[in-house]
Amino acid sequence: MERITDQVLDAEILKRETENPACGALIVFEGTVRDHHRGRQVQRMEYTAYKPLAERVLQELEEETKRRFKVAECRITHRVGELAIGEASVVIVVRSAHRGDGFDAAEWAIDTLKQRVPIWKNDFYTDGTRAYQDGVPLSACSSGEHDSAQRGQESHAEQPMRKQD
Amino acid sequence: MRIEFCGVLQEAVGDEALELSIATPNRVADILEELAERIPALQTHLPRIACAVGDEVIPRSEMVTGDVPLVLLPPVSGG
Repeated sequence: MERITDQVLDAEILKRETENPACGALIVFEGTVRDHHRGRQVQRMEYTAYKPLAERVLQELEEETKRRFKVAECRITHRVGELAIGEASVVIVVRSAHRGDGFDAAEWAIDTLKQRVPIWKNDFYTDGTRAYQDGVPLSACSSGEHDSAQRGQESHAEQPMRKQD
Repeated sequence: MRIEFCGVLQEAVGDEALELSIATPNRVADILEELAERIPALQTHLPRIACAVGDEVIPRSEMVTGDVPLVLLPPVSGG
């Protein structure tokens, strides 16, 4: 399964792709489209991505998650296009020998995805208006001096701030 | 050179991409400055955007040749 796809996400596919007899824990995280955002009623949501970079960043995020938490398997897919309330926008599957590492890895993976992957949400509200959600600036170009998203640089010692969205 | 816009930047510009008449190679920072002059609606976004060529994010100090599009990325909100 592609990491960025306009197809309905299927966690079962990722579970099959990551089967590993050395693992005693399987963690599946699905992010789903909510019917509200900051007090406003959401009717549907549109996700767009800059796919060339998003695919690479997601692949690197999988590898970094495995290394950082010493988990055996990590796969991530993110959907783009128009999604209805309740549909899955992102699926993360982690398999690990023990559950603690798996929970930590999955949580870190989704928190970090929200900071690094070039994907954007456009909320369509029930009152007929729409608005892009504000997000997290990719660190590179805003300063012009360094680029934590560039290929080959993986010194992400800091923990991402946990957000509510 | 071709400039492509993502997310909310498409709304600010009113299009997904445009052709910018500018000498190349040129620094990303100078290209952004030229863009801001031509499209005032971009000015408030520029401090928080990142820039990419292909599958790489590049710093504003980098020179680009214009052979491939320069892609402007607003703050991200996936998940």
